[in-house]
Amino acid sequence: MEAAIEIRDLVKRYDDVTAVDAISFKVNRGEVFGLLGPNGAGKTTTVECMLGLQEPDGGEVWVLGKAGGAQAKAIRAKIGVQLQTTGLLNQLRVREQMALFAGLFPSALPLDEVLEQVGLSEKAKTVTKVLSGGERQRLAVALAMLNDPELVFLDEPTTGLDPQARRSLWDVIRGLRARGKSVLLTTHYMEEAEQLCDRVAILDRGKIIELDPPTRLINKYFKETAIEFTAERSTNEGSLAALPGVEHIQLENGRTTLFSTDAPRTMAGLFELVAAQKLKFNDLIVRQATLEDVFLKLTGRRIR
Amino acid sequence: MKQIVSLYLAQAREFLRDRSAVFFVLLLPVAFGVFFGLIFSGSSSFVLQLGVVNEDRGPAGSTIIDLLQTPEVQKGITLQMGDRAELLDALEHEQIHILLLLPHDLSEDLAAERQVDVEIFYDSERPSSSDIGLGIVQHLLNDLGLRISGAEPTFALQITSIQSSPLRSIDFYMPGMLGVALLWLGVFGTAQPVVMQREAQVYRRISVTPVTPSTILTAEVAWRVSVGLLQTAAFLLVGYIGFGVGVKSWPLFLTTVLLGTLVFVSMGYMLAGVGKSAESSMAIAQLVNFPMMMLSGSMFSVDMLPSFFQPIVDVLPLTYLSDLLRQTMVGASPEHTLGLNFAVLGGWLIVLVVLARKLWRWE
Repeated sequence: MEAAIEIRDLVKRYDDVTAVDAISFKVNRGEVFGLLGPNGAGKTTTVECMLGLQEPDGGEVWVLGKAGGAQAKAIRAKIGVQLQTTGLLNQLRVREQMALFAGLFPSALPLDEVLEQVGLSEKAKTVTKVLSGGERQRLAVALAMLNDPELVFLDEPTTGLDPQARRSLWDVIRGLRARGKSVLLTTHYMEEAEQLCDRVAILDRGKIIELDPPTRLINKYFKETAIEFTAERSTNEGSLAALPGVEHIQLENGRTTLFSTDAPRTMAGLFELVAAQKLKFNDLIVRQATLEDVFLKLTGRRIR
Repeated sequence: MKQIVSLYLAQAREFLRDRSAVFFVLLLPVAFGVFFGLIFSGSSSFVLQLGVVNEDRGPAGSTIIDLLQTPEVQKGITLQMGDRAELLDALEHEQIHILLLLPHDLSEDLAAERQVDVEIFYDSERPSSSDIGLGIVQHLLNDLGLRISGAEPTFALQITSIQSSPLRSIDFYMPGMLGVALLWLGVFGTAQPVVMQREAQVYRRISVTPVTPSTILTAEVAWRVSVGLLQTAAFLLVGYIGFGVGVKSWPLFLTTVLLGTLVFVSMGYMLAGVGKSAESSMAIAQLVNFPMMMLSGSMFSVDMLPSFFQPIVDVLPLTYLSDLLRQTMVGASPEHTLGLNFAVLGGWLIVLVVLARKLWRWE
């Protein structure tokens, strides 16, 4: 079976800015594929090119085996879309909004079932304009699932949601995957990508700089454990680097992260150093490296 | 069809729940029609308040006054007699429209067949009533002059022939405001929501479903034509029950309403395409709305406008729509022939549809 999405050498320029710079990737059927990157990395532009909302300046886009753009209408019955700007009619009640979109597709799932899945059953009669940001976002996701699509595009679905709402939306996305749907997810939450995605592409300045399953990416860049703390006054980087097991040090926003191949010995050395130099550390954490660390290492900046 | 019904219902709900849209497009025009109709009802079947000062020492002055008091003349003129100072004061206090002064040597001059100098005073700050009044008085004097020189003593004036309009004020305003209502359907009922929905990226969201642009527009225009019919129903209901303003020719009237609705709805879509942002689009819409409302003869007769506005008046679609509505509803005397009215509106429709298509953008 052909890939859910296939992109070859996609290019999109705005005036003299190249927003998407010759990227290629494939989204397999049934996988949750993450497009990661900071704001302005080209995630949304890439999605919009796939949807036919933007005309690419070069390259090919294939969605569900059909060329994007020319055959857009044939594709659109089989895809679900949630855009960053929700584009909802303000005066419609939640259920009426669902009914509107249900009427635009040849067939649709039972509305109440979909509302239940995104946890909006109690808001069915609420007018859209008084919904909270999170509720609005969940409604947008509900609309993307309404036609029981083969492929779902979710453009930063959890941005602005509180942690609880975010987690319940993760369950919705896992549900899609369990039912064999393909999902293209853009996000700037690394944790989200780690939790949900089978594979991620890291996008920076319009280029894909890595493409792999999250765990493989983490293992590729970090065999070490991260030891993270905030020092009250600046510590001598040299003495930290000299600690046993330390491979690599990251300093960012007053936060120091030591990446160690032997965390217990590094910790022991660190405590000695603290005692000897009368240092004070706050918020000491020992953790596994995350996708966020990978991103930071690759791009030199935090994702947000 | 399912798509059209869904989009139609969504637009209907979006409109009917927006209080300001309902108020501006559905309620305000009817209210204005009734309000203006009632407020100006006194001056509608215009009765000239004519002050006459008779200083004539001979008999001619009183003959003229007798003549002005015959029943035929009194339909159009109310006479007020007095001396010069008294009536000048009345003119200043707007108790009379025109003051006619019959000079002391009137009879002598008439007898000697000399030219008679008659003085007329009017208030230049009340140009409309003064214009009408001056017209009537001039006509009156000509008539008198003719009859006197023709040595024909039967002075039976046909004052009805110079009465400004046989229509009641409400008959003038209800069709006129229905025209304005359809204009507002274009400005507040089309341009404004279309721009707002475009800004909110509603069209963009809908465009990634299997719906074609022409389906979206068909549903939207169908809904807006429904609003036009709702407005018309409101005018007919209030006009007929409240004031007996009916419809003279249903087929022509409905054709007019439909054509007018389409003209202004396409104008709304055209305006929505003009501006770069919501603000600029609405500013341009207002720039079109206000002069159109004022200069089309919908809210007051174009005869009251200075003549340099005439070229503008002559191109505005609302001028022709209001004329048609007055003709087909209350049977007002035509400003233009039916054929010309329909031709101009049809021409505008074509131009506006072409422009709207050219300027239209989904985002």
